[in-house]
Amino acid sequence: MPMKGRFPIRRTLEFLQKGETVFKKSVQIMTVNYNTHGDLSEGARKFVFFNIPQIQYKNPWVQIMMFKNMTPSPFLRFYLDDGEQVLVDVEGKDYKEITNHVKMILGKSDKVLEAEALAKMELSNPANFGPKKYFLRECFSEVEGQVPHPGFVPLPKEMTGKYRAKLAAGSDE
Amino acid sequence: MSTRQASVHAKWIIGQVIGTKMKKTAKVRVTRLVLDPYLLKYYNKRKTYFAHDPLEQCTIGDVVLLKALPEKRSKHVNHELAEIVYKVGQVVDPLTGKRVAGTQYLEPLTESTEDTEVSLKEKLEQLNITASTTPPSAS
Repeated sequence: MPMKGRFPIRRTLEFLQKGETVFKKSVQIMTVNYNTHGDLSEGARKFVFFNIPQIQYKNPWVQIMMFKNMTPSPFLRFYLDDGEQVLVDVEGKDYKEITNHVKMILGKSDKVLEAEALAKMELSNPANFGPKKYFLRECFSEVEGQVPHPGFVPLPKEMTGKYRAKLAAGSDE
Repeated sequence: MSTRQASVHAKWIIGQVIGTKMKKTAKVRVTRLVLDPYLLKYYNKRKTYFAHDPLEQCTIGDVVLLKALPEKRSKHVNHELAEIVYKVGQVVDPLTGKRVAGTQYLEPLTESTEDTEVSLKEKLEQLNITASTTPPSAS
């Protein structure tokens, strides 16, 4: 049963997570002005259709607003934290060019993203054990190859406490 | 508590004015894209904010940039008007600076007007309109 819609791949988590543009902390608002007809706005329309969901997924706290048919030429406008506005002319450009340009001017660079991912990994050390909410495993018995909890799998007779006690009592006498 | 954090989460907000009936206050509707968890599609979610507008310069339909106030002005007003981005009926294209209506420019893009005047005179001379000498025959 295929998915509904024109390009339903846009509505998959994998597609949304593939977005590479993560804005710097100072970007608060992103505004896209484009036209519904005309060849010059084609790139902007494709950008809105394919890339805006990816950008919003990676930047949930940035307000993104779309305006249609307000001006003859399409453009992007970013409003930064200190009141500065960045205007990006998009007329005639291809949607991939637009994404790369935006990533270059206002996105975090690959190095910064890698460093952040590394820091996040360091926080969650798989060698630590504890509640499922914070750690991977709760007890060492959950690791493959270790003795499991007797609540799940009964221990072999030789390892039970009462057998050992009986053996010790038997050897003493 | 003497030290308070900023009264709202977001410092800057863009929205459309929906009401100006209050004194020095504009009612602004702000739309944010929210992901539907099942469809995985983004839809606009509306929220209304009240903004302080001391000069009452907003009309209904303006697109407006709001700035968060450091302290709450009243129970509901946490923002003030920073600038009117697109005034309704008088939208200015930021790339050229000319007034614009939809996909048409209202002002001409090129500044020169002399060319049109000269060519009009030349055209009139070329037409050679003169009053006819013989009066039309009266019946």
